[in-house]
Amino acid sequence: MTSTADQLVDDYLKELKHELSGVPRARRRELLDEIAGHIADARTSLEDNGDAEIRNLLERLGDPAEIAAEERARSGLVPRRAGAVEILALIGLLVGGFVFVIGWFVGLVLLWVSDAWTTGEKLVGTLVVPGGLATAFVFLLYPASGETCVGESDPATGAFIETCSGGPSALRLALGIALAVFLVVGPLFTTVFLARRMRRVAGAAYQPNPGSA
Amino acid sequence: MVDGRQDALLAQMRRGTLQYCVLALLASEERYGFDLVRGLADVDGMITSEGTIYPLLSRLRRDGLVESSWRESSTGPPRRYYRLTETGRSSLAEFRLEWRRFRDAVDTLVYERGDR
Repeated sequence: MTSTADQLVDDYLKELKHELSGVPRARRRELLDEIAGHIADARTSLEDNGDAEIRNLLERLGDPAEIAAEERARSGLVPRRAGAVEILALIGLLVGGFVFVIGWFVGLVLLWVSDAWTTGEKLVGTLVVPGGLATAFVFLLYPASGETCVGESDPATGAFIETCSGGPSALRLALGIALAVFLVVGPLFTTVFLARRMRRVAGAAYQPNPGSA
Repeated sequence: MVDGRQDALLAQMRRGTLQYCVLALLASEERYGFDLVRGLADVDGMITSEGTIYPLLSRLRRDGLVESSWRESSTGPPRRYYRLTETGRSSLAEFRLEWRRFRDAVDTLVYERGDR
């Protein structure tokens, strides 16, 4: 029972859990429990619990993606890349903020209503970045420079002299640029991330297990 | 002769018959998942990815062919034991007849008349 062996099992179950996103939560939990029990049983029948044996065991168990595909096939779930709810959620989150801000909230509601994403993925969609690209737009419109300049003509030479004070320090400027980049890149990243993680349950085809003991 | 298409066909045939092999293993005694997999693995080539048995078992449960109960195990986490229902038993009996007829028909064509 080395810790690397435990780590391998842990990683395997995590990957399986991810592959099973889109499967109803109760059924996902049940399947993960059964596979974890299988691994525990298989390990007690091993003479040696070394890394090589665990790798071999997990290989026989099969690719998590294959098990998840089998679960979808046997339960009538088919992966579908996008439904109307998901597409509107992504558009709302990205640029909905420009539509009187409320567009972003509409996207947010659709994101949480959809079962195409896990809770973790929905949190990313919510927090990076609230308001979507509109937040970056507002930020860039009102740069908080605080700089004031006074100009006057030198009565002797007629030259125009300008003195400025209260401008942003180099640190504040750097932070401001970093924040601006984050505000622009963040929502774009989130849109791509959510689009790639999307899994869709095919409507009423799935019937929850009535006779579960 | 063994090309990709033939591999796919064999995989489909295995997939189609696997559920009856599972029912057959449960006909005489109740078993838990790992025990079932061991029974299947004893017969060469019946199962390739062992984990795919669990989605199948869930399907059989939903269809009312098997039922299950969780029981404590002395060696680790609780185990889910599966047993055949009456529906499962008659489904297996029906398959046995159909399969024999199907197998005999294919045997006749492939082995006895195939080379003429």
